Amino acid sequence: MAVKILSVDDSRTIRMIVGKTFRPYDCQVCEAGNGEEGLAVAAREKPDLIILDVTMPVMDGVTMLTKLKEDPELKTIPVIMLTAESGRDNVLQIAKLGVRDYLVKPFKEDQLIEKAGRIVSLQKKPAAAV
Amino acid sequence: MNDGANYQELSRRYGFAPKPESASRLTQLVARQDADVDEIAKVINKDPALRARLLRAANPEAENEAEYAVETVEDALMRNGVGCALVLAMGTPLALALTKTFQTMLSIKLESIDRFHAEPLDGEHMLGTIGFSGKVVGKVYLRMSRSSGQSIAAGVLGLAPEELNDINEIRDVVGELLNIMTGNFKSNLCDAGLDCRLTPPDVKLTSDFATPVERGSGLERMAFRAGKISLFVDVIANPWNDD
Repeated sequence: MAVKILSVDDSRTIRMIVGKTFRPYDCQVCEAGNGEEGLAVAAREKPDLIILDVTMPVMDGVTMLTKLKEDPELKTIPVIMLTAESGRDNVLQIAKLGVRDYLVKPFKEDQLIEKAGRIVSLQKKPAAAV
Repeated sequence: MNDGANYQELSRRYGFAPKPESASRLTQLVARQDADVDEIAKVINKDPALRARLLRAANPEAENEAEYAVETVEDALMRNGVGCALVLAMGTPLALALTKTFQTMLSIKLESIDRFHAEPLDGEHMLGTIGFSGKVVGKVYLRMSRSSGQSIAAGVLGLAPEELNDINEIRDVVGELLNIMTGNFKSNLCDAGLDCRLTPPDVKLTSDFATPVERGSGLERMAFRAGKISLFVDVIANPWNDD
C-alpha cells in the first residue's frame, strides 16, 4: 500500500519539490498551505508522515504541531520539520513538542528521502510507472 | 543539561551545518549595545574576509584598495557607526545561505563578485524584497534579470527554462529562495538576542533600482555570478529598534 505523506508549506514551490522528491516512490503526497489546512487534511487522510514548515500564514507550524500532539487521533503521526528556521529557541521548542527529525532549507532531495526513509518504508516504483 | 548544550546535541542529531563562528560572535557583540568599537574591531580584524568587506563598504567610491581613504577597521567603525558591523555580520550568513541554496537546490556554484565591477542590470528586472522587524529592523533586496529568474525557477522545479513562462510561478520560486536565505540569517540574529520576525516575500517586475536607506541604517551591497546569471543583494539594517 502506498505511503501517505502530507506536505504542509505555504510555498507552492516547496510543495512541488516535495511532490517531485517522492514521485519515484510508491507514495501518495497530499498538500496543505498552512497549519489550519494541515490539521484538516491530517484528520481526513491520516498520513503516515507529515513534512511541516514553521513560518506560514493563518496557522504556523509550531501551533499546528502543538494541536496535532494534543489530538489523540493524530498525535502518533511522525513529523519532519522542513524549514529555514534553525534558531536555538525555535529548535528547542519544536524538539520538546516532539518531532522525529528536522531538515533545514535549503535541502537536497536525497536528504529528505533519507530522513523520511528512516521513518516510513519507501519502495521504488517500477521505472515505467515514474 | 542547559539550553546551549541541548541545542548542540539536537544540532548533531539533526545534522545541522555549523554556523560561521566569527559572524555569530560579531552579531552577539553588536547585540549587547554596550560593546565598544575596540572589542568589535578585534573580532573583525581576526577575520580577513569580514575586514575586507567592512573596508570595501567604508570606501564606496574607491576602484581598488590603493584608493581607500578609510584604511583601518577602527576608522571604518568610527565613521560609519557600529550598525555597519551588524550588517556585516548579517551579510556573512546571508551570502553563505545564498550560495548554499544555489549549490544545494540547483547545483550552481555562485561566485561572489565585486559589486562595482559587475555588469549592471538594465531596465525591467525582478526584485524580491523581504523585511524583518523586531529588535533589529531592515530589508533584504534581491535583484536579477527576468531571464535569470526564469532559468533559476526552472532549475528548482526540474523543468527546462522554455517550459516555464508563467511569471507567477517564477515569482513563487524567487520568493521561496529569498525566504530560505533570510530564514537562515534570522536564526543567527535571534540566537544573538536580536529577536525579529520576517515579512512574507514580495516579488515583482520593476524598472526602479533605488534601495532606500534610512538615516542610521547600515547598508551592504553584494553581487554574485554563475555563467549568465547575475544576482544583486542589498541588506539594510537598523539595530536596537525600541518599537
